[in-house]
Amino acid sequence: MIDIDTIFFTIVDRGKANAVLHKARELGATGGTILLGEGTVQSKLMDFLGITETRKEILLIPASAGLDAVLHEQLSEAFKLSKKNKGIAFSVPFKRWSVDESVQEHNISIDDERFTHCCIFTIVDKGKGMDCINAARAAGARGGTIIHGHGAGVPADSYFPLAIEPQKDTILIVSKKDKAFAIKSSIYADLELDKPGNGIIFTLPVSRASGLFENKAEERKGGSS
Amino acid sequence: MSLLLDKVKEVTKTLVPVVVLVLIICFTIVNVSTDVLVRFLVGSVLLLIGLTIFLWGVDLAMNPIGEYMSREVATSKSPVKIAILSFLLGFLVTVAEPDLLILGNQIEDASGGFLGSALIVYMVSIGVGVMILLGIFRLLRDRPLNRFMAITYGLILVMGFFVSQEFLAIAFDSSGATTGALTTPFVLALSLGLSNVKGGKYTEENSFGLVGIMSAGPILAVMVLSIISRQKNIHGDAAEYVFHEGIIGPILETMPHIFLESLLALLPITVLFFIFNFVKFKIKKHEMLGIIRGLVFSLMGLVIFLTAVNSGFMDMGRIIGMEIAKMSRGLLIATGFVLGLIVVLVEPAVHVLGSQIEDVTGGYIPVNLIRVTLSLGVGTAIALSMVRIVVPAVKLWYFILPAFATAVLLSFKSNPIFVGIAYDAGGVASGPMTATFVLALAQGAASTIETANVLVDGFGVIAMVATAPVLSLMILGTIFQRRKVVELKHEAEETSPAAVMPITLSDFNHDCLIAVANRGYAEYIVDLAKEAGATGATIFHGRGTGDHQAVLLPIVNIELQPEKEIVCLITDIDISANVASHILEDEQLAEKGEVAVYIAPTVALIKDLSQN
Repeated sequence: MIDIDTIFFTIVDRGKANAVLHKARELGATGGTILLGEGTVQSKLMDFLGITETRKEILLIPASAGLDAVLHEQLSEAFKLSKKNKGIAFSVPFKRWSVDESVQEHNISIDDERFTHCCIFTIVDKGKGMDCINAARAAGARGGTIIHGHGAGVPADSYFPLAIEPQKDTILIVSKKDKAFAIKSSIYADLELDKPGNGIIFTLPVSRASGLFENKAEERKGGSS
Repeated sequence: MSLLLDKVKEVTKTLVPVVVLVLIICFTIVNVSTDVLVRFLVGSVLLLIGLTIFLWGVDLAMNPIGEYMSREVATSKSPVKIAILSFLLGFLVTVAEPDLLILGNQIEDASGGFLGSALIVYMVSIGVGVMILLGIFRLLRDRPLNRFMAITYGLILVMGFFVSQEFLAIAFDSSGATTGALTTPFVLALSLGLSNVKGGKYTEENSFGLVGIMSAGPILAVMVLSIISRQKNIHGDAAEYVFHEGIIGPILETMPHIFLESLLALLPITVLFFIFNFVKFKIKKHEMLGIIRGLVFSLMGLVIFLTAVNSGFMDMGRIIGMEIAKMSRGLLIATGFVLGLIVVLVEPAVHVLGSQIEDVTGGYIPVNLIRVTLSLGVGTAIALSMVRIVVPAVKLWYFILPAFATAVLLSFKSNPIFVGIAYDAGGVASGPMTATFVLALAQGAASTIETANVLVDGFGVIAMVATAPVLSLMILGTIFQRRKVVELKHEAEETSPAAVMPITLSDFNHDCLIAVANRGYAEYIVDLAKEAGATGATIFHGRGTGDHQAVLLPIVNIELQPEKEIVCLITDIDISANVASHILEDEQLAEKGEVAVYIAPTVALIKDLSQN
């Protein structure tokens, strides 16, 4: 049997990830990794003042499917993810590779039905992160999170031993599956990703999500009707 | 909104202790006139507003400007061009620094007009220019910072024997004066930008240290000046200090003057940037608007901040210093310690450094730990300055030279990233708050105690504040180096194996590989992946804990999350298994890198759409 792991992603305000990780470890997670990122805000006034981002932390916890369900349930409750602007959590099926099973069957499988959401990753040059999010918004995305990283595998420069590494913005957008294609196309067209070196875009399936704004809106609708 | 609120909260948190302590002193020990008290309170509110706006402006303007300039410097092919450009940057930001002009005038008075203030300003600026030049070459050539600083301070030590004690104090003070409220954030941003453009294994270490290198420039310049001119003694008395009266009057009075000074200080960076933008960068209009907005915020914030400090805090500091010195010397030293402890946290550059440390290390180095260490250092420094005022036999070099010698020694044992942070901290801690409030406190005390000389003892306070944090952070770095890994006892039962998800979909034509490893192994992983056929990767910095482990800081037993690097690769579905196995099979990586590889199928638009 193939043991399918997931990576449990949580995006919360800067400073809260430690508490989330701590709680997750109490629930049985073995460990986790925290990245710093920036979220987006939507407000005309803030935009004028130049405040276009909020500081976020992205926490990655490898978990088995069983643990994953527990994490979603318990963490949502403990950190009130169901309320607006408290953060989101989602899981992406990942397989943890190990050396012993070198002849692994490589068929982590995707069941179309199970995945209602997907996570769009876009990797572009630094500074284009906001353009990307704007393009995604035009196609119906709610917002995104930017993580700064740098590209690797680029040849070094001449005089000084400089490996001038292009800095990259990675944009993480979680959306409904039916919207994903429109969002991707919009980003693809706006940022001219068809030209070489401009960036790449890829999607990962999301097996479970909590705290997404779309869900909340629906719940509210459901509650009122 | 939340980010602005964060900033306000952050500033408030550091300001409240200062206000509370001063109020306690006012109501219990020292009798302060209502005017001064009210002005202090108004000043505190203004300081809160000013500092928040200023920090905001720095985020919007200084960081991008530093980044563009550093890219321009680093991508120049010719070393001559790099040299000219970096010298110019260092020279220009210093020559316009208002604090330096004030110091120049003081020295001119103290030396009886023998050393003109213009001469001093230019010498110091040249000193900074040369040091920035050397610092940038060091960074680009990957020379270790600890050795570089050891040589620099070795030189200072040798020259220290030929210079009179008064000039030693002046020399170290001038280094504090050049690292002003605007210069420090700019040089921090420049350093960060350079190391980012350069990349490579030492990106994090290289992000810090330029401020430290820069502040050695003035010390050397003034010492050279003193040796050449054979000027040994300083004499004369400080001008009679006049207390301001009224509440709104002094605030309005200082404002225009400060506005001019701040504008002057901001001008060289701005003009240089606009020239380069015109010739070279040609930044998009939208981005340019952001930078201009940031520059306006910086200027506004700085003016409000400096007005608040100069009109509200200086008189208060002076009175507290005078009154407490009259009452008890022990109390004076204690007050100095406690005030130093909390005042340093209000320094603008301390906030800038803090957020830079957080960003660069991915939160691995807890900013609060840095702040506490900085506080302890500065508190001790000011307490010792008071000792120096109270006991004339105690000389400045008793503290400064051994402190730097120890710091240089420790820099070889310390965690490398702390070396840069520690040297920077000196310049960062000695900002406008020290130059006004703390200096006023010391001068107030000195004016009451007969054996002390306001002028001579006034010099050297900034020097102490600039020295102590270097040592205290270097000690922290050494402790950090000895952090230990502890296995956590964990009894979580294995969760049930996951349900198998059936059927592969055909449009998943790529795999997304995520490799998590200890810091420093990312490049190696990319190399391995390339061997197995991958094309490129993106590296992220983060922090985290491995399987059932915790890392503890010795002595204080704070849990740390070690730094991690995350490599994200998109590979063709056919080779992803090979790449993953190849990474995992590497022995060195498995042993020290604690690598874990995760794979998920993904829909990648790398070429599919372009083919359509």
